[in-house]
Amino acid sequence: MTTNRRQFIQMAAAGAAGLALPGWALGAPAVPTTGPSGRVVVVGGGMAGATVAKYLRLWGGTRLEVTLIDRSATYVSCVLSNLVLTDAVKMTRLQFTYAALAKNYGIQVVTGEVAAIDPVSKRVALTNGAAYPYDRMVLAPGVEFDTYLGLDSAAAKAKVVHAWKAGPETTTLRNQLVAMKAGGVFLMSIPPAPYRCPPGPYERACVVADYLKRKKPKSKLILLDANAGITAEKASFTRAFTVTHAGVIDYRPGVTINEIDATTLTVKTSAGDIKANVINPIPPHRAGALAAATGVVDVNGRWAGVDVLSYESTAMPGIHVIGDASATTQPKAGHIANQEARVCADAIVRLLSGLAPDPAPVTNSACYSPITANTASWLSVVFQYDAASRTMKAAGGGVMEAEVATKKNYEQMFKWYGNLMGDTFA
Amino acid sequence: MSRTARCGALCALLLLPFAAGAQSAPPPGRLLASNCFQCHGTNGNPTAGFERLAGMSAREVVGELKEMKAKPGEGGIMRVHALGYTDEQLQLIGAFFAQQKPAK
Repeated sequence: MTTNRRQFIQMAAAGAAGLALPGWALGAPAVPTTGPSGRVVVVGGGMAGATVAKYLRLWGGTRLEVTLIDRSATYVSCVLSNLVLTDAVKMTRLQFTYAALAKNYGIQVVTGEVAAIDPVSKRVALTNGAAYPYDRMVLAPGVEFDTYLGLDSAAAKAKVVHAWKAGPETTTLRNQLVAMKAGGVFLMSIPPAPYRCPPGPYERACVVADYLKRKKPKSKLILLDANAGITAEKASFTRAFTVTHAGVIDYRPGVTINEIDATTLTVKTSAGDIKANVINPIPPHRAGALAAATGVVDVNGRWAGVDVLSYESTAMPGIHVIGDASATTQPKAGHIANQEARVCADAIVRLLSGLAPDPAPVTNSACYSPITANTASWLSVVFQYDAASRTMKAAGGGVMEAEVATKKNYEQMFKWYGNLMGDTFA
Repeated sequence: MSRTARCGALCALLLLPFAAGAQSAPPPGRLLASNCFQCHGTNGNPTAGFERLAGMSAREVVGELKEMKAKPGEGGIMRVHALGYTDEQLQLIGAFFAQQKPAK
């Protein structure tokens, strides 16, 4: 009773500070007192890192010491961040702290910058001199973005943003859109796959186009795609570009950006120069910098190869890589990162108990994509482990998408978001 | 099968997580069922809508999923998940949620 009351007061305080905290912290499940002994250090507190820390304790028990390190005390969700651009969602709704994870599951949360990970002495060192020894570590560093030619200066970087990691750039892009004149051109670009959130750029194009129609009449959105065609929800987005937002979205597949002039707002592409009022290029991705620095990048010079039974690095034993930084057949996105994290947590608990990982893990990807200000589509697929290829393979009906964008899907999108973030951060 | 034999099998199933001690394998179906947590909450207790799976009978969970599996056009996004699992996996998922306490 007292605990519940105390938690309620803390939640009320967090709410007042404007930080979203799911209500069910009141009924968080208990951490068992049985289980293996050991120390696990998790670096990176995004969707993958926060989830693995939670389930290592929930499934591993109190004798498993879990430390979660991130450079920031607050996580900003990429999921729903496209809706901040049109003021449909406030930034505060994307923000989460690690307070509930620390309180509910006894995770040691550390805010600090990692200087180095030493796989020989098995220690994670921070720039402030602190060091954290581990038996196993989990690296969830997210992604790093390439820099375009022409965007080297600080001024250029401030003027042309990708906003593909939610945060200050999301607000910058929102302000640029609001300030854009009617009849203007909003140019965005999609990098070659694999990139974070396959339907995300198409979704952003739809959300921005819908806003332009309402607030900036006669404006256009040029969407350059480095890929040969739409990479996710092909039927939904084809309909959105050719029917729902026809005349506003100008979709150009197979076009790549060579250089950007931030002063004249000109983009030099493989299909000629284009001038725009707002430029929003999403650059090619690679695994977060810590992955390369630690030596786990072994796929195409960009990604960390893993054994999908445990997400242990194929380059470095004892280090597990989950989320967008890892190279698997699964998409790079928050929903599936949350499940990869549970497969990884389950495997680590088994390994520390002297058992083998589950030989047949299953994961799933699911998301809702807004198409207009009040309709959304969805995309979903279940992956089963295939022992012959040692990869995760789409099962059942394969990748499926909504037949039509509906208001009901738009409402369900917020339920999905609320539960996903609740499971990850509380 | 006699009543005694049935009870024996059931008791063995119920005692399994306790009998093997600290280093035992995790409860069967837990990792599989955790695929539902993103939308239906940790252990099947959602906080922001969607169906509460914690405490539902295995028959109910499996029954709903099998119906979606059988009929094209049923279930929307849930049909993807019904199709993605084998019947045996659906049983394990159902059995896991039947053992979870619904949060108040």
